[in-house]
Amino acid sequence: MFQIISDSSCDFSKYEAKRHGIGIVPFYISFDQENYLKEGIDISKEDFFKRLASEKGLFPKTSQPSPQDYIDAYEPYLKGGKDVLVLTISSKLSGSFNSASLAMEMMKEEYPDREIILVDSQNATIGQGLILREIIKMRDAGYSLSKTAQVAKEVLKTTRVYCTLDTLEYLKRGGRVGPTTAFVGGILKLNPILQLADGKVSQLDNVRGRKRALALIEEAMVDALKGETGNISLSIGHIFSEKDAAVFKASTEAALETKITNPITDIGVTIGSHVGPGALGFAYCRKYDAIKI
Amino acid sequence: MNNWFIVAQILGVITIGFEFASYQIKDKTKYFLVTGIGSFFWMAMFVAIGLATGMSTQISLIVASSYSTIRNLVFFKIFSKDTPKSKEAGLIFLLVMIVVALVAGILAIVNSPEEVRWLHTLGMVTALGFVIGQYLPGVHYVRIAVLFYAVVVMLTQTPLNILEGDFRWNIMGILIESAKIVSVIVFYLRLSTQPKKPQLQFAKP
Repeated sequence: MFQIISDSSCDFSKYEAKRHGIGIVPFYISFDQENYLKEGIDISKEDFFKRLASEKGLFPKTSQPSPQDYIDAYEPYLKGGKDVLVLTISSKLSGSFNSASLAMEMMKEEYPDREIILVDSQNATIGQGLILREIIKMRDAGYSLSKTAQVAKEVLKTTRVYCTLDTLEYLKRGGRVGPTTAFVGGILKLNPILQLADGKVSQLDNVRGRKRALALIEEAMVDALKGETGNISLSIGHIFSEKDAAVFKASTEAALETKITNPITDIGVTIGSHVGPGALGFAYCRKYDAIKI
Repeated sequence: MNNWFIVAQILGVITIGFEFASYQIKDKTKYFLVTGIGSFFWMAMFVAIGLATGMSTQISLIVASSYSTIRNLVFFKIFSKDTPKSKEAGLIFLLVMIVVALVAGILAIVNSPEEVRWLHTLGMVTALGFVIGQYLPGVHYVRIAVLFYAVVVMLTQTPLNILEGDFRWNIMGILIESAKIVSVIVFYLRLSTQPKKPQLQFAKP
């Protein structure tokens, strides 16, 4: 059986990672561009977002794991005679895949008999998390490393993340919207709806009011997924919006006439620093056993 | 018949075509292009009416329609790029245009005959509502706002505003505003008969 490693953008909880035997390589966060903290180790998601919400104008930087971080993650398993499958955040969003790739080249020289396969998820947060869950299922079903990677690359093509934000403030801090747009958007109570597809984040629409935004998301989701729910894996994620996420989950389950078995996820810092507290989203992908190769 | 009045009627017919078409279009960028071209002919019509019946009562309408033409065409250019920078530029432009419209509108109101000031004040208010409606997302705000705006502009094409001359009813102006109202009604009738499609389209997995 091979070992699965992911960067922390998959937003798995410590408990989940441990339960499924997943190695997590953390991203770094810096509030001052001098001191870098490891996500989930030196600073919890909760503390990070509390500080983000309380300090106006603060825009923390996130940095990808270094090649050395990946080497440290690979080596114990390679030494132990295991092959490794690595899932990273979209290479269009971060250099994590590059770091993982450099580390792989270095490790191949030291462990020529072992195999490391990298998968660029073309996604992030709950979307990457869904792909990771399919990879876990394949591993547990006895798939080989190469077959798992092959199917995972098909699964990621079917993965989409959609989310709505409570405010344009954090997009402004990150330079993704201008100050005037954020100011007027705030007055008009505009809630942007974003999508993560083909490795990139883009804005789908602006909607007045959060309720309306969530209603539109649910309507579009039902339209896209109706008749397919048996073949689809779904996930919901949020930042400090636990109640809204629970309500959204219940209404989505009712609308789609299905159960969302994946746990509601706390979105982490890589995407979270750009969208901020109040973000609420969902992701879907085709299940590995519904993929035809 | 005054030649300028005949020219105004021709320009008005062209305007009707563009205005009617624009409110059938859901895509905002295309809407701005079509309504922008319509606004240009609309402005030209007011100039022709002014030449036919006297400029004093047409000035505020010429100002409003010139402003519409520029605003719609600049919005078309900005929104067709659809980048954060272009959106920011578009919004700043909108805010500048609102200020310009307020200043120009107030000046036009002050300079208009006393008995029509209430109408021009109403025109300015509904025009501002319409501009904000154009900027707001979705297909509904702009269509609701244009109904109010069209009614007020329609009143300016009657003896309530055209105080002197032989042609105190600008039938063409009334038809243009009616075309907008009819177009909005047709839009909603078409919408009600179409199978309901979600406003957002998500990819099939």
